[in-house]
Amino acid sequence: MKIIIINNKGQYNHRIGRTLRYLEIPSEIVSNELSFEEIAKKDPIGIIFGGGPSIDEAGNSLEYINKINDINIPVLGICLGHQLLAKFFGGDVSNSPTESYAQIEIDIIKDDLLFNEIETPMKVWTSHKDEVKTLPNDFEILAKSTLCDIEAMKHKKKNIYGVQFHPEVYHTPQGEIIFKNFHDICLENLN
Amino acid sequence: MLNPSKFIRESIENIKNEIGDEKAIIALSGGVDSSVCSVLIKEAIGDNLVAVFVNHGLLREGEVEEVCNTFEDRLNFIYVDASDEFLDALSGVEDPEEKRKIIGKVFIDVFEREAEKIQAKFLVQGTIAPDWIESEGNIKSHHNLALPGGMVLKVVEPVRELYKDEVREIGLELNLSESLIYRQPFPGPGLAVRVIGVLSNEKLEICRKADCIVREEIIKNNIDRDLWQYFAVLTDTKVTGVRGDQRDFGYLVVLRMVASTDAMTAYVPELPWSVVRTISKRITSEISEVSHVSLSISDKPPSTIEFA
Repeated sequence: MKIIIINNKGQYNHRIGRTLRYLEIPSEIVSNELSFEEIAKKDPIGIIFGGGPSIDEAGNSLEYINKINDINIPVLGICLGHQLLAKFFGGDVSNSPTESYAQIEIDIIKDDLLFNEIETPMKVWTSHKDEVKTLPNDFEILAKSTLCDIEAMKHKKKNIYGVQFHPEVYHTPQGEIIFKNFHDICLENLN
Repeated sequence: MLNPSKFIRESIENIKNEIGDEKAIIALSGGVDSSVCSVLIKEAIGDNLVAVFVNHGLLREGEVEEVCNTFEDRLNFIYVDASDEFLDALSGVEDPEEKRKIIGKVFIDVFEREAEKIQAKFLVQGTIAPDWIESEGNIKSHHNLALPGGMVLKVVEPVRELYKDEVREIGLELNLSESLIYRQPFPGPGLAVRVIGVLSNEKLEICRKADCIVREEIIKNNIDRDLWQYFAVLTDTKVTGVRGDQRDFGYLVVLRMVASTDAMTAYVPELPWSVVRTISKRITSEISEVSHVSLSISDKPPSTIEFA
């Protein structure tokens, strides 16, 4: 009944674990070098792809996304994780014209469970050089900012989510709610 | 939330199992991380713990006395003045990563020597999560993680999975004094990473004096608890000034004051301008080698909290 966090070697991956621990949501951080079978054996109810320095260090993440796409399990990609989802589903990822490292405000433009009980505009922490430039097929935008058009996205038919910002850090004050909501989505998916 | 009493209970139990009846030394800096660890380990193994406080010649004004006074009577306590050994090893070194690695290595040399004297098999360190996260991510090498191969001491790190705000909660639960719990974090490599470029006794002394002024003013104005860290950096840049109608060519000092909870993200808050101006004036008038003071306003990311 736990959520698996794929460690993509970003600075904040361990903080995702802390946030879930504080919410009393069982979780485990695992290396992105594991095989998909090893991850599946852990019987995850949801998978979070953490951030990281570059796609070259994302290990087997793209393969996991490929396999997860065939089964019904909720996914949340954060920063690099979000970009990997976009890439896999046919979106475009490239350098952002303005690298963003700061607390910014995003506008939530679509009602969705992931942002349940979060007021817009939402203060979030960002730290990225790349961004999702074009939305993949079958996805819709959930939130945008003046710096980036796709701050959050969702697959139209599946529980596959991506956020460009970092809900796991202290300077995203309502970030914890996103993880709680994601956990609710995972539980609902079980039923 | 973190459950401090549960953490303490489990931690003491784990340490007992790991160290057993062997002797251990703890690398004690006087900061909250190693202080909390010293209490946990002492609870677990009693007098088999010896605390080793090393002066690497890169400490702040008054720090040796402060740490010795705080711990001398509480623990089996050894003070080692290894400043010459550290400063010799750092002689001529410019690159901050190289400085960090050298300091990590000399620390281990010193600890291994001290451990051998009392036949300790374990080295306890107050490593916390951001230390190894930054080292593994190749952002910066933390002194306590540059462990050389062939080291014989077994390393015990009771608060490795925690962040500093969590260590502070543990400290409160253990009834440590507030001044210890909220002590400003100070990097293990000390002033070596706050004096940019090649170190010299003169530059270290300038940095030490500037740091002392920053601390005095921030504490006097009661904003120390609003800030995560507040310090002065001595850059390697010299700039032109004018003092008493005479040309002056002295150092540029940068003030860095950030707010944070866990050091993973940090920002520069709005600071009372009068305090900033007082610090600047005091530094240039009390330290004749400094001609110019500037204020750093970059957040983490993209900067880090320390300069180097």
